[in-house]
Amino acid sequence: MEFLHFAFYFGLVIFLILVISKAIKIATAPVHLRWELYPVAHEKGKAHYGGSYLEEFEWWTKPLKKDLLGELWTMFQEIVLLKGVWEHNRSLWFGSAPFHYALYLYIASTLLIFLGLIFGVTPDNVDFQTSWFPQFLNILLWLASILGIIGAIVLLFKRIFDENLRLYSNPSHYFNILLIGMLYVTSLVWLLNSENAIGEFFGFYKSAFTFSSLPEIPVIGYIHLYLLSFFLFYLPFTHMTHFFMKYFTYHKVRWDDEPNFPNSKIRKRLMEQLNFPVQWSAPHIGADGRKTWVVIATSPLPIKENKNG
Amino acid sequence: MAEKRKVRISDISNPNIYPLAEVGPNNTIELPPPYDKLENLPGFKKLSESARQAVDDSLDGVVAVGVPKPKTPEEEQELVEKFISGLIKLFSKENNWTFLQPLLLTMEHCAKCQTCAEECPIFEASGYEEIYRPTYRAEVLRRLYFKYVKPGSPLLKKFQVGDIELNWTLISRLIELSYRCTICRRCAQACPIGIDNGLITHELRKLFSQELGIAAKELHEKGTVQQLLVGSSTGMTPEVVKDNVSFIDEDLSERLGIKVESKWDVPNADYLLIHNAGEFLSWPENPAAFAILLDAAGIKWTYSSELVGYDGVNYGVWYDDFQLARVAQKHFEIAKKLGVKGIIMGECGHESKSMGIIAERIFGNEIKTINAMTLVEQIVFSGKIKFDPERNNFPVTLHDPCNIVRLMGIVEPQRRVLRYLAPKFREMEPHGVENYCCGGGSGFAVMTPYNFLDWRMHISGRKKFKQILDAFKDEPPGPEVPKYVCAPCSNCKGQIRDILDYYGAKEKSGIYYGGLVELVVNAMVDLKEPFIDFSMM
Repeated sequence: MEFLHFAFYFGLVIFLILVISKAIKIATAPVHLRWELYPVAHEKGKAHYGGSYLEEFEWWTKPLKKDLLGELWTMFQEIVLLKGVWEHNRSLWFGSAPFHYALYLYIASTLLIFLGLIFGVTPDNVDFQTSWFPQFLNILLWLASILGIIGAIVLLFKRIFDENLRLYSNPSHYFNILLIGMLYVTSLVWLLNSENAIGEFFGFYKSAFTFSSLPEIPVIGYIHLYLLSFFLFYLPFTHMTHFFMKYFTYHKVRWDDEPNFPNSKIRKRLMEQLNFPVQWSAPHIGADGRKTWVVIATSPLPIKENKNG
Repeated sequence: MAEKRKVRISDISNPNIYPLAEVGPNNTIELPPPYDKLENLPGFKKLSESARQAVDDSLDGVVAVGVPKPKTPEEEQELVEKFISGLIKLFSKENNWTFLQPLLLTMEHCAKCQTCAEECPIFEASGYEEIYRPTYRAEVLRRLYFKYVKPGSPLLKKFQVGDIELNWTLISRLIELSYRCTICRRCAQACPIGIDNGLITHELRKLFSQELGIAAKELHEKGTVQQLLVGSSTGMTPEVVKDNVSFIDEDLSERLGIKVESKWDVPNADYLLIHNAGEFLSWPENPAAFAILLDAAGIKWTYSSELVGYDGVNYGVWYDDFQLARVAQKHFEIAKKLGVKGIIMGECGHESKSMGIIAERIFGNEIKTINAMTLVEQIVFSGKIKFDPERNNFPVTLHDPCNIVRLMGIVEPQRRVLRYLAPKFREMEPHGVENYCCGGGSGFAVMTPYNFLDWRMHISGRKKFKQILDAFKDEPPGPEVPKYVCAPCSNCKGQIRDILDYYGAKEKSGIYYGGLVELVVNAMVDLKEPFIDFSMM
């Protein structure tokens, strides 16, 4: 096994393990108290102005209707158009949008390479210079690289020269932008220097997934693929995991308007949580490490009140 | 003039920077004449020497909580140790299952893009003081979380989020800083990732209350504690509240020539009506209008004279989960005992949210809650009562209480009522779920210690005052035309009352305020005398 293969496998495995475990950890976190923010995208007929089913008199006597299409449309606008940034931080959008579009295009082209490999598209049986599929991928990667470089430059300049961002930026912010920017720089240089860069991409992924020997790849290709492997390894340790955590911030917090009906799943989980033992130390809580949350919450206030401080 | 150095996150631990930020009246949010001259307004009160000796004002020269200064290094160390202990509990599922998931999401995924900053009316009104930036306090907590709670290499954590020194100064300033945000959550609404810096304020207050026993006196000692022990955060016992309500009934009956009759402890009534008890003392017309309207609509209702049962206030929603649950549990228990179908929550935003959705998740929804907006709409359009909208033929604008609108999605019922019954109704801009907080949210409306009222008037309330003035800009600017700000929330009314008084807006511009139900009753054909009497407001 080539060292590049090892680096790639290592990055990919760590990426998958950490992303999955983080997703499980947050998905299985206790049910929290309602903390929704309107507009809630699935409120049928009301989401466009921010209304909710609570506007209905005796709402519990009426069926709760969810508008899943509306929710999908909102998600589409947020993910594809970056609507929130466009509306609330226009100048950042001009850096953030190309930066994100580049990632989408890069991921899309990588997935298409996998699909191609599954369907037997390899440099051995397809002419990569003339066939439409590799040429299409070529265009995707060119676009991804150029947009990615533009996005990274804009974001880097904003972080450096906008004091409002600089004061809240840590070394990792600059490093992250540089790392992703370098991914695109190296892919662009690869595309520029090799007439068969797409074939070489294919060759690398084919060798990686068939555990065969590495095909001939230029030095810039090696650099790019090492950077990619490192990026896969590194990403789960950063705030950039918002790419999947956003599902939870929207669907499980911002849009969580589920009532606590008897016999519901929420009720079942809450019954367990109400029995968690509590350790808070302030005298008015009256916790001792054994009393449960619900016992404390339904007990009279301990009379001896502590004054502030 | 050299540009002022911006406050850094790490500065919060530095006792040599005093104060961390200097705030005072400023014109970042420009008001139209006659409110445009800063020199005509009172500045911030200076703290007395004795107050400065006693409590820490090193954050911004303003005091909301008043953290006592430590007398010995041991006391300082004790606070630090307690804080770390609380910080660990804040991130444990047993102690903080109530908000752990959103808290973790906010701690670990903020991109620090500052998209939220422009949405904060406090940050703007302060002249963009860094300490009020929504990400400032969140960033302090994030660094502490990475340093003391999250496992991993210290070097990597410094690389990821930076470092911070934890000392008494930081904690004391952070306590005050957690009372410089109204938890209106406009910042969270703007965040593309879904990060919630308003939640950080909430969680910090909880840590301080539930572990250190430190909270704003008005919310804790005079708030939930008084409510649980005496019956109401106003201090009214059951006997006193019944006396007061009886007096209100008599007074209004005499003035209006109709019978206003409040009911107490009626078994098996359809609904238990719970107002924010502040209404009985500060705005007695509001509960009287409810009584008139409910009776006219033929609804069988009652008040409860049990401890806590006559005060819908639940300040726990802003600083302490257990106090929240204790108060809400009493409300539900009393309703159950009376055998009512449900609870009508008066015109109070935090009451509606705490009882209607937050406590509902804790205790289930066997006891139903109905918010005042939907009830009033239901009655108005039921055809049971005749209205003459011309009786409300004066300019009216609507303030959207954050708790009812942005945080519960109750947007249109009150508008449908106003469009029907107030011919000169106009919106503020922005409005609905994009509204601005009145500046009294999260308990500020009842907090006036030291010089905090000045801060509320100049900083947290200024944006709302501008919105109110702008809503009436097409009307004669003087007091000759009375203008009505409809604020269907007790705390918002308290804040708007203070703003209008502070800026002299009633005398200068004829701006008055009140609730929704008063406008509805004012339009009732059956009433011979106008319910709203501007000469008495």
